[in-house]
Parts: sequence; C-alpha cells; structure tokens
Amino acid sequence: MSKRLWAAAAVVVAAVALSASAASAAETVGSCILDEIAAAEFEGIEGDGFTAAKNLKTAYEAKVEGAEELKKDFEKDLEGCLEAPNPIIPEVTEIIWGGAAFIVLLALMKWKLFPVVKNLMEQRTQRIQDAIDDADRQRAEAAEVKANYEAELADAKAEAARIVDEAREQAGAVRADLQARAEADIAEMRERAAADVEASKRQAIADLQSEVSDIALGAAEAVLGRSLEDPEMQRQLVDDYIASVGAGQD
Amino acid sequence: MAERSVSYADAVAAVARAEGNLDLVADELFRVARALEGSDELRMTLSDRQIPAARRQQIVEDLLGGHASDTTTAMVSMIVAAGRSSDLAGIAQEAVEINARDRGRSVAEVRSAVALTDDQAERLAAALSAATGHQVDVKVVVDPSIMGGVVATIGDEVIDGSVRHRLSQLRDTF
Repeated sequence: MSKRLWAAAAVVVAAVALSASAASAAETVGSCILDEIAAAEFEGIEGDGFTAAKNLKTAYEAKVEGAEELKKDFEKDLEGCLEAPNPIIPEVTEIIWGGAAFIVLLALMKWKLFPVVKNLMEQRTQRIQDAIDDADRQRAEAAEVKANYEAELADAKAEAARIVDEAREQAGAVRADLQARAEADIAEMRERAAADVEASKRQAIADLQSEVSDIALGAAEAVLGRSLEDPEMQRQLVDDYIASVGAGQD
Repeated sequence: MAERSVSYADAVAAVARAEGNLDLVADELFRVARALEGSDELRMTLSDRQIPAARRQQIVEDLLGGHASDTTTAMVSMIVAAGRSSDLAGIAQEAVEINARDRGRSVAEVRSAVALTDDQAERLAAALSAATGHQVDVKVVVDPSIMGGVVATIGDEVIDGSVRHRLSQLRDTF
C-alpha cells in the first residue's frame, strides 16, 4: 500500500514540475505584450506607451476616423506575441525547467516508483509464474489422474470384456447343458412313450387273445359239455387214456 | 401225510391183519372216505363235537351196518368217536397203501368223471403197472369235476388225462 502511495506522490511532483515549465513560458508572452504596449506610438493619438494605448481605445470608442485601423494594427502587433514558439527548438528556460523536472521526476521514479513497480511486476510475475506452475502442476496432476483414469478405464474395459466373455462361456455351457438335458428328456420321453405304446399294444393283444381264448374255450367247453353227456364219449375218453398210459404217454 | 393219520392207519391195518381181512377193510375204508368226501352234510355231522360220540357212532353203524364188514364198521366208529373223522380220508389212503405194500403192490388213486367198468379198471391197472414197472392196485374215485377222462395219482406221480386238464392246457396255450 505504501508503495502505491509513493507512486502517486511521484506523479503529483511531476505534474507540478510540468506546470512550472508552462508558467515560465507564459511570462515570456506577457513580457512581449508589455514591451509592445510600452513602445506603442500612434499617428494622430497623443502620448506613448500605455497612455497611447489608452487614448487609442478612447478614440476607437469615440469612432474617430482612422482609430479603427490603428487599433487593428496594434492588435496584430500584440497577437504577434501570441504566436507559437519554434516547434522544434524550445525556449532555453523551458529546456532548463523541463530537464530539471524530468531529472527530479526520474529520480523520484527511480527512488520510489521503479522499485515499487518492479516489486509489483516481480510479484505479478511471481504470481503469474506461480499460477503457471500451479496450472502446470494441476495439468500434471490432471494428466496423472487422466492416466490413472484411463488405466482404470482400460482395466475396467478389460474386466468387463473378461466378465462378458466368462458370462458368454457360462451361458454357452448352460445352454449346452440345458440342450443336452432337453434332448435327454425328449429321448427318455420318446422311449417311455414308445414303451408305453408297446406295453399298451401288448396288453391290448393279450386282452384280445384272452378274450378270444375265453370265447374259444367257452365255445369249446359248451361243445365238450354236450359231447361229454354222451356215455360213449366218456367211455372213449377212458379207453384213450388207458391206451395212452399203456403206450407210455400221459 | 400227517403223522397222526399214519398212526391211525397202522392201527387199522394191525386190527385188519389180526382179523385176516386187511384187503377188504382197506377197500371198504377207502370207499367210506370217498362217500364222506361226497357228502358235506355227513362229514359235518360226524365232525360235530357238539353231537355226543355215541350218537355219531350210532350214525356210522346205521350207515355201514350190513354194507361193510364188522371190522370196517368198528374202525370207522372208533375214528369218529375219537373226533378224527376229518382225517378219515388220509387214514383210508394210508391203509390202502399199507395193504398194497403188504402185497408188494402200489396204489393208484384214479379219478374219473364216470364209474369205470371192471374191464376198464383191469386194463387201466395193467397199463399203470406197465408204466410204473410194478403192480398197481386201482382205487377209483368218481369226480365229475374233471369233466371227462382219467387222473391217476401213484405216490407223488400224477398222470392227468382229464378233459379239465386239457382245457387248462389249451387256456395256457392262449
């Protein structure tokens, strides 16, 4: 804060010095006008110097003939004092005052302002450098984080790919197992169905045979029953039996 | 055969031998047993222990008196009085076996749907003797359930020529 105060003070001193230089230039114009008035003499106007100038003004206001032209001429002479000095080469006094002010201002600036400005610049530079370093460090950290993130992302992708492959393999194994089980079940069901059909067929054939045999045997028994009522048939059966036993047959 | 039936048969045979008519007693006993087989009412009456033994013996004597020898009547009466009428068939069978063994012969129980003529019985005995290799006495039992033909049982051997057996074989063939 004090460094800024010193810089403001140096600017004020420089302004005062420049004002002094301008003031010295104004005194030069004034003395020129004063000299013109002191040497003033007009034809037909009494007195000289300031008196002559004063009488010319009175004559002009009284609209004396010729007074107006004299006044215009006198004004031209006075305006000659107001003409600008040489734009290339200043007045000596102006050079002296300006140089002195410049030296004072330069000294003040070198004594107070430059160190402050330099310090401020160094601080700013340091801040910028710190900011740059911080940015570089953050950039490095970001790059490291990015690298870590990319590495983790790559690992995650690899892990995801591995999991997907593993899941795909498991799914394939499960699908194959289910397919094998389904095929086995289908084969078993077909075999069972075929066995059931075969058993049903055998049972139906057996039932049919049994029914047919029952019918046939029933018919045979009916026929035999009628035949066996014949005593001759009974006698013949006994004789046949005796003959078969005698022949060694049962 | 039950040991008890064998013992009763031995006793019957011993008495019959003593009387000298074992052949007759065995035959009559066999016929009585067959008759008892064919009558459920008679069998149940003789087996009923609620009926006094004397009454049952009286029934036996009334049935057999004049139709069988005294020895046979006495043996059957004794068996019924002892409450062994249900064993009478076995006792008769064993007595027949004993009689046959005494004469060096075997007994064939022959079941027929109709009664055999004497000629048929003789020819059958001759055929069975030829088939078994030793002399056979034929004891005929009329059994209509066999429908027709003959079933001969000699010891453990059965020669089945019945119509019932043929039908059974035919049924098994189907």
